[in-house]
Formats: sequence, structure tokens, C-alpha cells
Amino acid sequence: MMMPTLAAAQPGPFSRMIFGDKLPASEAAAWTDALFMMITWFSVFCFVILMALMVYFMIKYRRRPGVAPEPSPHHNTLLEVFWTVVPSSSMLVMFVLGFQGYAAKVYSPANALELDIIGAKWSWRAIYPNGGSSPETQPLSYQKTVENGMEVVTQGNQYPIFYLPEDTEVKLRMNSVDVIHSFWIPEFRTKRDVIPNRYTGYGFKTPKLGKGDTFIHQETGQEMIGRDMWVFCAEYCGDEHSRMAATIRIVPQEIYDQKMAEWGVQLSPVELGEKIYKQICFSCHALNGTKLVGPPWNSSTLDGQQFGYGYDVALEDGTSIPRDDNYYRESILDPGVHVVKGYPPTMSSYQGQLSDEDISGVIAFIKSLSDRGTMGQETESEDAGTDQAEEAAGSES
Amino acid sequence: MSTLDAHTGHHEEGSYLSGPPGMMAKIWQWMTTVDHKKIGVMYLFAVLFMFFVGGVAALLVRVELLDPIRDVAVQTVNADGDLVTTTTVTGQSLKEIFSGIGMADGLTGTQIYNRVFTLHGAVMVFMFIVPSIPASLGNFFLPVMLGAKDVAFPRLNLLSWYIYVFGSLFGILSILMGGVDTGWTFYTPYSTTTDADHWRVVLMVTAAFVLGFSSILTGLNFVVTVHKLRAPGMGWFDMPLFIWSVYATSIIQVLATPVIGITLLLLLFERLMHIGIFDPAMGGDPVLYQHFFWFYSHPVVYVMILPAMGIISELLAVHARKHIFGYRAIAFSSLGIAGVSFLVWGHHIFTAMGELAAVLFSGLTFLVAIPTAIKVFNWIATLYKGSIALNTPMCYALMFLFTFSIGGLTGLPLATLATDLHLHDSYYVVAHFHYVMMGGTVIAFMGGIHHWWPKMFGKMYSEPGALIGMALVFIGFNVTFFTQFFLGTQGMPRRYANYVDEFQTLHQISTYGSWILGLGFVVHLVVFIHSLVAGEKAPANPWGGLTLEWECESPPIEHNFHHEPIVKHGPYDFETTVPPHWDPADWPIHPEAGKRH
Repeated sequence: MMMPTLAAAQPGPFSRMIFGDKLPASEAAAWTDALFMMITWFSVFCFVILMALMVYFMIKYRRRPGVAPEPSPHHNTLLEVFWTVVPSSSMLVMFVLGFQGYAAKVYSPANALELDIIGAKWSWRAIYPNGGSSPETQPLSYQKTVENGMEVVTQGNQYPIFYLPEDTEVKLRMNSVDVIHSFWIPEFRTKRDVIPNRYTGYGFKTPKLGKGDTFIHQETGQEMIGRDMWVFCAEYCGDEHSRMAATIRIVPQEIYDQKMAEWGVQLSPVELGEKIYKQICFSCHALNGTKLVGPPWNSSTLDGQQFGYGYDVALEDGTSIPRDDNYYRESILDPGVHVVKGYPPTMSSYQGQLSDEDISGVIAFIKSLSDRGTMGQETESEDAGTDQAEEAAGSES
Repeated sequence: MSTLDAHTGHHEEGSYLSGPPGMMAKIWQWMTTVDHKKIGVMYLFAVLFMFFVGGVAALLVRVELLDPIRDVAVQTVNADGDLVTTTTVTGQSLKEIFSGIGMADGLTGTQIYNRVFTLHGAVMVFMFIVPSIPASLGNFFLPVMLGAKDVAFPRLNLLSWYIYVFGSLFGILSILMGGVDTGWTFYTPYSTTTDADHWRVVLMVTAAFVLGFSSILTGLNFVVTVHKLRAPGMGWFDMPLFIWSVYATSIIQVLATPVIGITLLLLLFERLMHIGIFDPAMGGDPVLYQHFFWFYSHPVVYVMILPAMGIISELLAVHARKHIFGYRAIAFSSLGIAGVSFLVWGHHIFTAMGELAAVLFSGLTFLVAIPTAIKVFNWIATLYKGSIALNTPMCYALMFLFTFSIGGLTGLPLATLATDLHLHDSYYVVAHFHYVMMGGTVIAFMGGIHHWWPKMFGKMYSEPGALIGMALVFIGFNVTFFTQFFLGTQGMPRRYANYVDEFQTLHQISTYGSWILGLGFVVHLVVFIHSLVAGEKAPANPWGGLTLEWECESPPIEHNFHHEPIVKHGPYDFETTVPPHWDPADWPIHPEAGKRH
């Protein structure tokens, strides 16, 4: 992704003071830091001028016996126009740059590695494309000291480690099973709320690993290649909110592949979806483009209507909405809301019968049946304009 | 020294503070009073008490954050010579404190922390900062500065006071029953599902609901008062800027508060009757709550800051003896801020909303920064060629310019979408809004209390004592909250009882700062009590102000003025006017300036 040259410079000492030792992990993150520093320098400049004037006036015009204040104008149109226009135009610049950086952070390309993030009170779970999830954990801050020959171990809670390959575009699809959480990776300088009954998400590109990127393996004590970064829950979610964390570990591709082979013994989401289809859905939905009680799932044309994931659906009320993850999820849990034109509203809700994982599986299966299933579909669409805005944003940056 | 009594020949009317003999009679008189001054003073003591309660909670929050929560496993050799590992949990200061006084109630350290920070937020927002300036100083001085005997509806005014007390009682009851852990924002579905078998959340939400009515009635009263009860000769642009800002505040209160009332009612419906509005498990939408909530709570940010801006305009003009620079720009920017404040609520939920909406709200948010910036420029320009007295009210006004500018400028990266995604819900936000709310509103409130203290109670306060308190507050405030900007940019989320090791140093500095800040307020408390007990009698116009409250006695008589005042000069015409009853020994004046009197 081409970003403006703002991010080209290495972080300076002030940037390090502000953001700490954790360098930005992606180009979009570095760009954010540069924008933040630009706004900060602008602010410091304004602040210093204002305070210098204030202190100068405080001293120069301090009250002295026998000295009366001199008259001065009560307003000055030119001056007032000046100090209205200058901040306004500076803010316009910030707004536009902020929009560009935002677009870079929410957009992810079609071929991105898709990771399902499930938030629950008070833990994070990541489901990989092959259906596996990480069994590895590590404690928050671990210190071992020896006092009087006896070991003293000080540590926080254990948190899961999510492995990601280096130099790869990643796209998160997030959902909560209870209250609202927020998935914040400080080193990518971005976060997004994780909301029940709705998919949200964002994308980032994992960094290339450099020389200094190593971690100490907890059990073997060996130095391994990889970069650890914290994930925090940023939306207050109750008792253990402050201990809802995880580690993202960026590793070389071969280590990632090895982990996937180890963990991916369960059914992949597509396989799970196919299994559920064969158990439940087959009686009303066809996969070969024919009309049963319900519409077919594969991409096909029937009676002038286009079916399949990624195509717009014509509704009974004459409007149309895109068939995306949220559409399918809603159609499984609350089928009466959007009824496809020409089909009876006979389907009942599968709320409570299918788990979130099952639903994700069914959606993945439906996606695999469409020729648009691999396109860079947006994970959420609260309103129709959103997708367009984002696509426009994506093509700009 | 000349007094108003000698000047006007009226001796029979006593100060509003003098009451009938007998303790019970006095209490009855205060409880049934419709005098806006007595109601203002009662509000003043009530909100200061709430500030104390919220402040103690804040200090407790900071104590918990001195160290992170850790399991410490120690190996020891027992009597049999075997290695035994014993594990203890460290870093739960609040649990230790509350266990020590028998109030831990079986809660874990993080649960206690969550209750304490919610208590801090809810008390500070709903019971302290929203009513603080308008209900106390506004009630006392809005009619006096307009030259009126009272507000337009004195009985309604007393009713709002009782509604405030009644609402606060719900909140206090909820706290005494163990408190709530929802955060002051009551975000759904957490708030509708937490603590399900208790009434505590319901009581706290009811408190906020009831307090809203107090706010609406006070706002309504002030709007009518400003429209109908201005003294003869006082046009709209002859009003002091404090009135303008309280007027703008009142409009927001009347228009926005009903929305929070409805929202909280819907929340109660969902919680008590399981009508699905916000909880997706019942078919609701949790983000809808956030939109409703911030549609009120963003304008309310300006209910908090606009009256503070009004106070600053008064303090700078009077203590620099200078006509305010750009009077109309300041007056209109108050109204402009009030208007735009209704359009920017979305910036509180950038991480929960769609992309198009986020972009629109980002653009709108920058709009609100412009009138605010204009005000700051005008205030600093007012100091030019003034005669600046560095007393406590003025020092607080100058401190406001310092802290509020930081608060305003650090809002820019929060309005900018790319940077907000990182800073949202982090300590950066905590630092930012404390610089605006505390560095803005509380600092201006402190300045206003000192400025009008002689008028309200007829006693001077100890200037050196107050200046020491002011200096401690300045140092403590900045040490406490400036560090939190760095915590936020480095990745510390807000509302956390626990954190990774690398944040500990900054957290400790912040906590030490909070102790200095607390000490500063204790010094102020001592100065106030000393003033009430042994303060020197205050003259009618100790600062040489030209607004009408300085034409009353200190403290004012029950009906404020002996005769209906007629406005002959603008509120800031220091260059052409000598304040009435001004003692020339205190101030050298132009020989020709006195001709108008």
C-alpha cells in the first residue's frame, strides 16, 4: 500500500518519548505516529506563543500603584478574522490526513489472512482459517529472583498467544458473545469495538522481522525469532476487564505453518459449515441453483434474480441489500427481518441451536459456493453508504 | 470606608444571611426559602460536598494504581525439609483498605476498583460538575448581575434544589448498598445484565434520571430570567459575559437533558421488564444506546465548560481592569458552541460506528474547536495593556488559560480519525478530559468562588493562604494528569486496575501528583473555614468590578438592591467609568473619569 512520505522518517527522540520503546509495527501505524507528531508540534507551537504572550503581559502589565491601564481597542476585525481562518484551515488539513490514515487502517486487501476474533468476559480467542486455535499462553510480566537461595516468582495472569506470519496482510473479523469489548493492538495503533451479534473488524500488515526481533521461550529459555505485542481490551467489560489481554506473536512463515499444522486438527469452518448444511439446511436450500422452499446458496441466476454470497439480494419490500456476513448471520438468527423476494417467510430462527462457531462455519461454506466469496467484502455494513466510503478511501491511499 | 448604608440612607434591611433567632427557626427559614441567594449557597455547599466524595474516590483509584496486581510465588522449606511454594497476590491496595475497615464484602480487588472508579465518575459528572457553576454561582449571581430581585420563578428554583437533593439521595443509597460497577456511562448490554439480582444499578440510573429534572428546571428558569428580568437600560449586549454563557448553558440543558431522561428510562425498561431495546440477546442494538447517551452527554460537556468560560471572561476583565477583547465574538461563540455541540456526539464512539458516520463526525468535531480557540485568543488579548492584579481569582483565571489550552489542543488528535483509533479509550483520553473538565471547569469554579466569596459571605479570605492552595493545585494537577498523556500514547487502556510493568513509573508519578492536588484542596478548605470564622469584613466592591453585583452590599440584602438599578455603563467600561463607591485610596484613577458620578 502506498502511503505518503510522512512515515518515511525514523521516529525521533520525541516520538520515542511519547510512544515509548514499542516502535510502530506497520506502515499505517508509523504514518499515524507521524501525523500525531505533526499535530503535537503544531499544538506546541500554538501553546508556546499563547503562553509566552500571557506571561509577557502578566509581567509587563502587572498592577503597580499609580499606573493606570492604557486604553486599547476593544476588538480588531482583521486580527479576529486572522485567528479564525488560520486554525480553521489547519484543522481542515488534520481532518483530511486523519481520514487518509483511517482508511488505511480499516481497509484490507481481498487475499488477506482472515482471523476470527471472539471476545468473551474476560478472554480473547482467535480462530485460524483452518479452524484451529492457539493452546499456548504466557504470563503478563514474568520475573524470577532468588532471595536467600529461594526462588521468588512474580507474574501476572496467563494469556493466550496468537501466532501470525511476518510480512502478511491480516484481516480481523470480530464478534463478542456477551458485552461490548474492544480489540486494541497498541503497536498497530488501532482498535475496534467487538460487539455482540455483529461482525466488526480491521486490517493490518504484519512487519518483517528484523535482527532485534526475538523473544525468550518460556519453557526452554531459548531465544527464538519473533516479535511479541500486547493486545488489550479497551472497552470496559466488567470485573476482569483490566486482565483481558493476549499476545500477538509475529513469527517467520515456516514457524506459523508448523503451528497451523499442529493446531488445525479440527474441521475447518468450511467443512463444519458443510457438515451443518448436510444435517439441517439441505431440505430448503439447494447448491445447484434450483429453487426449493428457500433460495439457493451458490452463485446462480434464477427467475431474473442473482443469488450467492457477495451479490445484492432483492427483498420482498422492493429494496435490496448486499449479501454479506451480517446478512447471513441475521438470516439465520432472525429470518423474518429480510425476506427474499418470491420466497415465503417460513424459516424459523436458529438462535440457541447453532453456536457462533457453527454460524461462522455456515457462512464460510456459503462463501465458498460463490464466485464472489473471495472478494474483499466488508465485514460490516451498518448503512449502505459505508462500503462505498470505505472503498473510495481504500483506492485513494 | 464608605458603605452602601451610609450612601443610600437605608438601614432597616439586613443581609440575606441574617435570619430569625433560634437554630430551628433558622433551619426552617433556609429549607423553605425562595431567595435565589440562599438556594445558590445551599447548592454551593452540596456540590462542594459531592466534589469531596468524588475526590476521595479519585484518590483511592490512584492508590490502587501505585502497583500492578501480581501473583508472587515464594519457595520456602517447611519443618519436614520439603520445598513448599506459597503464593500471595500483591498490588491490591483497595482490597486491603476496604478489608481493613470491614467493607470488602467478599469482593475481589478488581471488583472494588471498578466500583470506586464508577463512583468517582458518576458523582463527579451527575452530582458535581453538571450543577456546579450554574446552580451555585449562577443561581446567586445571574439575577444580581441582571439587576433583578430574584429569578423569574423562585418557587420552581426551590423545587429544582429539592429534586437535586432527592436524586442525590438515590445515588448515595446505591453507593451505601455497595455501589455499581457500570462506569458512569452505563453502556449496554453490560449495564442491563450486571449485578442482576440487585437494585443498585437501578438506583444509580434513577439518580441520574431524577437529577436531570433539576437541571431542566434550573435551565428553564434562567432562560426566562435573562429574557424578562434585565434591569432598565440593559440590552442583550450590555449583559456580562457570564450571563451569556449561563444563558447558552441553560438552552443546552433544556434541549438535551430530556434525551438522557428517555434513554435512562429505556434502560430501566430493559433491565426490569426485559423489553429488548439495547441488548442483542433480546433483539436490541447496543450501539443505539451509545448514540442516545452521547446525544445528551456531549452537549452536556458544554454545560460543564460554558459557565466556566463565562467566569473566566469576568475574572480577566475585572482583575486586569480592562474591557474584554471581542465581546461579541465571545458572546456569539458561546451560542455557536451550544449549537454545534448537538452535532458532534459521534466522536465518542468512533470505534463502534460505520466508516461513513465516523468521517462525518470527525469533520463536525473540528468545527467545535474553532469558537473555543477564538475565546482563548480573545482572553489573552484582553490582558494587553491591562493592570493585572495577581490575586487568587486572577491566578486561577491564568491557570485556566494554561490548562484549558492544553486540554483543547490535545483534543485535536482525538478528532483526527487515524490517531483516534489508537488513543480512543486510552489514558490519553482520560488526561485530555481531565485537562478540560478539571483544568477548565473546576479551576474556573475555584477562581469564581474566590472572586465572589466576599460578596456571598461578606468576608475576605486570606490571600496568602489561598495563593498557596492555588500553587499546590496547579503543581498537583499537572503532575497527576500530564503523565497520563504518555501512558495513553504508550498503550495503557482506561478503567484498568492492572497493567504491564513498563507503565508503573508513570502511574506512580501520577499518584504522587494526586496527593499534592489533594493537599491543595485541603489548604483551600482551611482558608474558607478561616474566612467564615475570622475573616475581615468585605467591602461592597473589593476588586473594582463594574457589573451590578458589586453595587450591592457584601453580603447583599434580601432583595439585592435598595432601589432598582439603572444601567448607565457597560460591564467592562473600565476606561471610562469609575466603579461606584470605589475607594480612591485603593486605586489611582483618571481625574476626568469620575465626572460621571
